[in-house]
Amino acid sequence: MLLPGRNPAYEKAVNDHFDDLYRFAYWLCRNRWQAEDLVQEALLRAWRAWPSLREERAAKAWFFTILLREFRRSGPRAARLESGADADGFAVDPDLSSSVDIDRALHELPDQSREALLMQVLGGFTCAEIAGALGTTEGAVMTRLTRARQALRLRLDPPDAKKVHRA
Amino acid sequence: MNCLDLRRAAMIDPRRLDGDAPAHAESCEACRAFLVDVLRLEDQLDEALRVSVADGLKERVMEHAVEAPRLSRRYALAAGVALAAAAGTAMLWRRNDPLALAGIDFVVYEEAQAILDAKPSDPSELQRAADKVGVRLLGQIGELRYVGTCPFGGAIAHHVVLKTAYGKATLLLLPGRMLAARGVAVAHGLEAVVAPAVGGSVAIIADSERNLARIEAILTSA
Repeated sequence: MLLPGRNPAYEKAVNDHFDDLYRFAYWLCRNRWQAEDLVQEALLRAWRAWPSLREERAAKAWFFTILLREFRRSGPRAARLESGADADGFAVDPDLSSSVDIDRALHELPDQSREALLMQVLGGFTCAEIAGALGTTEGAVMTRLTRARQALRLRLDPPDAKKVHRA
Repeated sequence: MNCLDLRRAAMIDPRRLDGDAPAHAESCEACRAFLVDVLRLEDQLDEALRVSVADGLKERVMEHAVEAPRLSRRYALAAGVALAAAAGTAMLWRRNDPLALAGIDFVVYEEAQAILDAKPSDPSELQRAADKVGVRLLGQIGELRYVGTCPFGGAIAHHVVLKTAYGKATLLLLPGRMLAARGVAVAHGLEAVVAPAVGGSVAIIADSERNLARIEAILTSA
């Protein structure tokens, strides 16, 4: 139910994209608590700037861009929290046990490749949209995506293992 | 489409292969096997990335995102009223224009990162954007310290950082963003104005009203 004084268009946009936005935050931070803070901060900014959004159709890309900027802005703090979380052993969620390889493989990617890949897989964005959000060219995004997939293939499906598996 | 084209496209975006790709894969066994491998990895990646979202998280985050600014505005207003009473001076309350306020937020929270992230663009691009908006950037406005583009308000803005005689100022040229009226905002120790122009609008953000007025006057007179 909507409360008085709220913006139904904003709330609908958040409802439509929240899960993907949270997952994007999670894979940037690799920590649920940090991801929640990050999403909250990003949505707070989005709420304040909502009247300046020209096309509500562009809301998803806009949310992702705000969240990515907020993540980069809080980078040093995030890194500290992450190292502390790893030491305490709560950075990896129980439901991610089957995804540890993906987690490690993603973590090993360069930041720029990881961000582009996450935006494509989770956000469903085109290379042009990702380029707009990352402030780079479409060609650069294509290169980052190719390198990311090459690295993932090598990490998750190495040629040697494939030979053994097929034999 | 040849084998190289298919493999290149599959590594960039395997979910958006063009119409020729399936036909090529049908006729080339090696590419078919490659595509199967890539799509299998993609399924694995997609499944792993879709971590569960905690029950009630959306509602909790929404509550904070919507309530926090409302509360902070109330506190800001209360503080303003108290200050006015203490000083014994009358304050004229002005409503912040949302776009002008977004301009201030951009400068406070995002500008530094935008400059770090972006490749500075060609000044001739800026000239074309200014022509499109319908303003002229005369030399007297100040020294251009940074020219680039950035996402702002759901569109791409031309972002200019100026050093002027009265301090730093930021211009955001918004081609095609038509405004019905001029708007102003004051927040975080900054002032902003958004002004309509022939082919769009301009946001000016500065730390003093004098600087703001001067830049607006130069843009308007050009």
